[in-house]
Amino acid sequence: MPNKKKPSSLSRRQFIKGVSTGVAGTIATTKLARALPIEKLEKAAPPEGHLPLELKVNGKPYQLYVEPQTTLVEVLRNELQLTGTKVSCNHGECGACTVLLDGKAVYSCHILALDAQGKSVTTIEGLLNGEELHPIQKAFIKKDGYQCGFCTPGQIMSTQALLLKNPNPTKEEILDGLSGNLCRCGAYPKIIESVEEAAKVK
Amino acid sequence: MHYYRAKNLKDILNLFESEGDRVHLIAGGTDVLVEARQKPLPQDAFLLDISQTADLRHINEQGQTIHIGASVTHQELAESALIRQSAPLLAQACRQIGSLQIRNRGTLGGNICNASPCADTVPPLLALNANVHIAGLQGKRTVPVAEFFDSPYHPLLNNGEVVSAVSFAKLEPTTRTAFYKLGRRKALAISRINMAVVFKMTEEGFLEDVRLAPGSVFPAWHRVSEAETFLENKKAQLSVFEEAGKLVADKMIAISGRRWSTPYKEPVVAALVKRTLAIAAGVYKGGKL
Repeated sequence: MPNKKKPSSLSRRQFIKGVSTGVAGTIATTKLARALPIEKLEKAAPPEGHLPLELKVNGKPYQLYVEPQTTLVEVLRNELQLTGTKVSCNHGECGACTVLLDGKAVYSCHILALDAQGKSVTTIEGLLNGEELHPIQKAFIKKDGYQCGFCTPGQIMSTQALLLKNPNPTKEEILDGLSGNLCRCGAYPKIIESVEEAAKVK
Repeated sequence: MHYYRAKNLKDILNLFESEGDRVHLIAGGTDVLVEARQKPLPQDAFLLDISQTADLRHINEQGQTIHIGASVTHQELAESALIRQSAPLLAQACRQIGSLQIRNRGTLGGNICNASPCADTVPPLLALNANVHIAGLQGKRTVPVAEFFDSPYHPLLNNGEVVSAVSFAKLEPTTRTAFYKLGRRKALAISRINMAVVFKMTEEGFLEDVRLAPGSVFPAWHRVSEAETFLENKKAQLSVFEEAGKLVADKMIAISGRRWSTPYKEPVVAALVKRTLAIAAGVYKGGKL
């Protein structure tokens, strides 16, 4: 028998994949008016109210048309499908959307996409080396530095910003460096341990 | 909506000239974006990004005066060796704003122009006797920071004007300063009350040239001349600082009246004045005071 699987029994992974594709599809359609990749526009003039945006995300250049009020995280998640960056408060308070802009930690929900014009953006996806996890990600897994995991990409990006600047932070410096990221599960002790582990490994 | 990024001050003024009050300035966006979600900007607005305007990005010293461009971020100020040395209380205040992600975006000009009563940079600037430099279609003007505010959230800035810089005289190395922030938590907190003090101390321990600027205490920003006069030439000791604290609390009640928050604010303002003065004088050893 070449395929023993019954077509109706979906694995969890396939299920999630199916659902998320549906969701992404819906978002992409509704957001079509807000931001369009340039290639989709086939050299047409920018839609009314849209402006061209060139930005570099994880080393890769992108060209799009966006409305001025579009935030960076809307472009990352909805247009570039880089959904590792999470939106939680969408208000510049919680840190789930943290990305690096020219190496500095910023809230991507709290910054206009056009502001990133010509700048270099690093998201959680940019930490991967092919399929291999970044040492910080490994440290978070090893030390169990999360509970539900929703704030984790932001915590990891803040850790990256901290360690880029200060490879051997003290505990105080870690608390300070990650103070812009909230964890509603309260996994803070493990998060701090993960950062300490990441600093050791790096 | 339109979006422009100003390369220099001239770009800003040119857009003021052609588009008038349709121009909405945005620097770090930490306040503008939050407000725009509650009250969207008009469809015909011209959003003018001044966060990368070259003329507004400097921190330098000209003679005995420090100049800070309006688009310098809080984190840049907190890390600046020049500011830490010549106005440590301003660096401390910037260091405690929001979180790193906010400080990497929020700017000094934005903080004072938003004119929130709890803005952390304003008390230090008041205590530094800072000047605000404004550029506009009608030319340039400079006003003391104490005269820059009309009321909370309303700076005295006309249409077609932009704050270009803030300047203040360098403090002498012997000058004592302190900034104290009381928030509901250590990070990501909005100041409930904050306090900035600057004074000189003679070798015998007497206070001179005292400047005391509380934040979130009065409806409009100002220093407390009653307490400053009282402290002048007094010995730097806790009993004197306590007395000054009571004067500030009395002044608050004289201006705002007794309100629902007074039973909390009255002793807390008095204690914070005492504590901040004690920190600056080097006699605060931690704990309750």
